[in-house]
Amino acid sequence: MSDIGKVRLRIPSSIRPGDVVQVRSLVIHPMERIERDAQGKIVQKNYNYINKVIVTYLGKTVATFDTTQSVAENPFFSFTFKATDPGQLKVQFLDTTGGRYEGTVEIKFS
Amino acid sequence: MTDNHPVTRRAVLGTLGALGVAAAGGGFVAGAPGKAHAQALGQNESVQDAMKRLFGDKPIKDGAAIIKLDLPLIAENGAVVPISVSVDSPMTATSYVKHIYVVADKNRIPIVTRVTLAPEAGRAFMGANIRLGETGDVRAIVEQSDGTLLQVKREVKVTVGGCGG
Repeated sequence: MSDIGKVRLRIPSSIRPGDVVQVRSLVIHPMERIERDAQGKIVQKNYNYINKVIVTYLGKTVATFDTTQSVAENPFFSFTFKATDPGQLKVQFLDTTGGRYEGTVEIKFS
Repeated sequence: MTDNHPVTRRAVLGTLGALGVAAAGGGFVAGAPGKAHAQALGQNESVQDAMKRLFGDKPIKDGAAIIKLDLPLIAENGAVVPISVSVDSPMTATSYVKHIYVVADKNRIPIVTRVTLAPEAGRAFMGANIRLGETGDVRAIVEQSDGTLLQVKREVKVTVGGCGG
């Protein structure tokens, strides 16, 4: 479990200016499911799952995912952005316990 | 050169300080709405209630012409089901796809995700791994910047459910 919060980002190996680039991102996170007690009642507690994913490119927000517990464990998200200038692409994952995990990748043109 | 030196250093320190304050402030602001959204979005409810809560009585048109929903026909393991949605729509500042919703009808928490896109995304596309509790329809609902709602849905057969509880 010590891997929680590990973020992996994958971008295509060659990007040209103006391309619409598809990025794949993955974070290691348990995404706790709803638990029920013996009577079948939902256990009320603060479940630990990711509820927001923010993608920023050159400081501007490109996409935001608001997620619920219906998203799989170790969630994977993909999205696109338009590569206009070289710079930083950042993906931030926020969970319900205040955890904040982020991954960055430098966009370079070749 | 020597005259310039202290000025440069001061400028650098000043910038660093400002950045630090901005980063701290930004963290607080970004963290707070994250929690509020989760409470509004992920609830134990029927899909009818969820749709009503999200869209009210707005008409939802059939979007089969422009929305491409990519899902397996049979999901052997409901705990991890890859889904991707792409919309054949322009992404300009005046006309773009604002939200993509993914809704799994039979899940206890039907709303899976809401994606908010900016025109800079270049293409209206999202992909994710979701959970499916049992066999049922999965819908993708697209909200365009002018408020038009479009929907496609497909049934996915689930061999082993993935939502537990």
